[in-house]
Amino acid sequence: MPAKKAHKGVSWVVFGLAACNALILVLIYGQLQTDWQQWKQYKRGHVRFPGVAAGTLVWKQAVVPAQYSQASCGSCHLDGASQTPRLNHGRQLIVKYNCVGCHRLQGVTRPAMLGPDLTNVGTKLSREWIYKWLKNPRTITDENGNVTVDGVATDPRMPKFRLDEVELRALSAYLSVQRVRLIAAYKFNPRAVAIAAKGGDAAAQGQIKFNQMFCVTCHALAVDRGGETTLIGGDIGPELTKVGSKVKPEWLIAWLRDPETYLAHTRMPRYEWTDEDLYEVTQFILTKLTDADLLKTVPQLGSPTDSEVRLGQRLFVEKGCAECHEIQGVTPRSNFGPDLSALGLAAGPYLEEVKLAGDHTAPLHFFRGEAKQLDVSVAKVPRFMIAYIQAKVKGSASTGRETHMPQFQMNPTDLDDLTMALLSMNGPLPGPGTPKSLILQRASREFIADGKAGQLYQRFKCYVCHMFNGYGGGLAPDLSYEGSRSQHEWLVGFLRDPQTLRPTLTVRMPHFNMTEEDAHTIADFISTSLRNTQVDPVAVDERSFTPEMAARGKQLFEIKYACQSCHTIGSSGGYVGPSLNTAGNWLTAAWIEAWLHDPQALVPGVIEPRQTFNKGEIQDLTAYLLTLKQSPATKDAVPVAAAGGSQ
Amino acid sequence: MKLLVIYFAVLVGSLGLVAVSSREFTAKPCWCWPGNQHIFAKTKPHVEGTEYRSYGSYDFEVDWNNAERRLPLNYEQAQGKRIFYQNCVWCHADSTPAGPSNRSNVTPDPPLMNDGSLLNGESDASLEKVISLGGSGVGKSPMMPPYGLTLSGDEIKDLVAYIRVIAVPEYRKSPGRVNEISRSRP
Repeated sequence: MPAKKAHKGVSWVVFGLAACNALILVLIYGQLQTDWQQWKQYKRGHVRFPGVAAGTLVWKQAVVPAQYSQASCGSCHLDGASQTPRLNHGRQLIVKYNCVGCHRLQGVTRPAMLGPDLTNVGTKLSREWIYKWLKNPRTITDENGNVTVDGVATDPRMPKFRLDEVELRALSAYLSVQRVRLIAAYKFNPRAVAIAAKGGDAAAQGQIKFNQMFCVTCHALAVDRGGETTLIGGDIGPELTKVGSKVKPEWLIAWLRDPETYLAHTRMPRYEWTDEDLYEVTQFILTKLTDADLLKTVPQLGSPTDSEVRLGQRLFVEKGCAECHEIQGVTPRSNFGPDLSALGLAAGPYLEEVKLAGDHTAPLHFFRGEAKQLDVSVAKVPRFMIAYIQAKVKGSASTGRETHMPQFQMNPTDLDDLTMALLSMNGPLPGPGTPKSLILQRASREFIADGKAGQLYQRFKCYVCHMFNGYGGGLAPDLSYEGSRSQHEWLVGFLRDPQTLRPTLTVRMPHFNMTEEDAHTIADFISTSLRNTQVDPVAVDERSFTPEMAARGKQLFEIKYACQSCHTIGSSGGYVGPSLNTAGNWLTAAWIEAWLHDPQALVPGVIEPRQTFNKGEIQDLTAYLLTLKQSPATKDAVPVAAAGGSQ
Repeated sequence: MKLLVIYFAVLVGSLGLVAVSSREFTAKPCWCWPGNQHIFAKTKPHVEGTEYRSYGSYDFEVDWNNAERRLPLNYEQAQGKRIFYQNCVWCHADSTPAGPSNRSNVTPDPPLMNDGSLLNGESDASLEKVISLGGSGVGKSPMMPPYGLTLSGDEIKDLVAYIRVIAVPEYRKSPGRVNEISRSRP
């Protein structure tokens, strides 16, 4: 019976199909739901790595290798945390090498001065020297063309551009005709020159002056020590080893007399010169800091022709010179180099690759599963963002002739630090999902003194080395609270004749030859304006200190707390802290008490450890320190109290 | 029967269409979204050996006695390094970033911080105690000031972690074994 058969068959098949369909639907539903969950995870930013135990995630955002991990901190800590020293150093390098001249960078504003202003460069340099400099911007070189002294490259900030002979001739011609303001030769007082000449070798005298004024605090000189070249001095100003062969004499004199007329944004202070000193120091620079062989390799250039100058001007714009250097009639092009403000994101999720079983490769950041091999090869430079950045900065093979990016020379550690700072640039902040409160903004305070003291502050460029309320350089002590710390008379004396308080330091405050009146103006400003509210001068009465207290203080200083392990009194003691020989002339009583109570409260991060002095001990120590005085008449004599103490 | 044939034809046809349209689908061991955790692995990778490439470390320190040797530091040790170079280097090393060491001005001579033969014998707790209470706190010279109020507990722990890294001979957790190892070395 067909009908019965069909009925029977259909019922069996339909039951089977229904069961199968139900199973398939359940599987499809389960898969869809898993996919949906995975998709949601992917959109949130991380995906589980296939075939790997739980806990290994692939982030959409770059997770950099461990040695660059400080870059991640930089996404939020724009101000730089003390825990990320390498990132902070990298950020300093970004500023030092003027990356912001051509690139847009996150949180780095264009400073007033990048490279030197070239408006009047023709009055300063010869065409031959410009040619040599553009060809290879180094002066201290060995026969191979590069020298690192003391492990530090002597290279200036100026990077090396790839320029051919025609371009070199054109640019040197163009620059050597930049003379907007001519410099008149300075006429020395003949009597001063006669005095300088009478003392014998003017250059030798000049060298003594050069050292006495502590020019090396900012300018380095290469010296030969036992066949090894060593660079001695600071890096605030340019290195001066061969500057006598570089600049024109009349320019040098004009510059030393008033640097700001040549370069408005200079960091060089304007010194007070006598004709005699000026003559001797220029003689020293022009005759001793020279190198006769420096321009030997430069061909005969002759006087610049019109066509060379015109080509030079075009090249000046094309090569991007105008991005860092100012010159009359040329405006910098905006966005000359690529925007790097989101380079950290551009590093992308695929930084490195792992080889899995078979011929599979997979991108990864941290891999803890079972893999055959992790493969990071230099040949794949573009795939590997960090290697690409570093190749770009060093100007190696990956950058062709047609690119504008010049070659920067730096040691591998600096290069890593710079890369780290670049990787920390994660685009506009705060990023998606980042609470605003987590972003630690970069502080941008500027301290400008006003009035007459303000003019002197600008003239002597105090902020280049000293810090004022978080603004300024870190070379010299923070002066934010100097008015509370130091006595007025001491400040005047120090400004006129800076004697270092820390005997081991090689960098010292330069001798500005300041007039009495200027010194008083600055000291008045410091005493009245740079004060700390925690230090109350009225709270401590110096007259209540008795000799007994001072004697007890001496015992505490020498025996109980052994302060001499870091501070020098008389001729013995350590040199971690400042010498306390003249503490009685130098420090105010209120400052000493507040300092002994809690040094870090006055100067955050200072290394003097906070001790557990009680109130009486603080008073005794203060009384003792105030007895440590040096009378001006016996300047070199050891104070009586300290002489007794050093036994 | 006709119904059944049509049903199967449609099922096979649609599956075949998907398979043909994407060969990848058939090549794949499974169609899960990447990263799905399979209860039973369909393709267990054949592991020939595991090779790890060094990803570098948070920071590094150059061995004090051997400029060629770089010691990797993790985050804590790197913090210890920073604190050491801020506060301790002046008296506990022979050269400092600022020039000469203050070590010779202090009597008795403070131990060099990498002197493992002296410091490996000390437990972490006793080193932390010397740092936080100073020399006078543990019956030693008051020339060593106390840092308990200046550095936090974590910072002192970081410092000890750093001291352990730079120790020569190398630091081993158990002091008893350290001596054996260092003796057996040439």
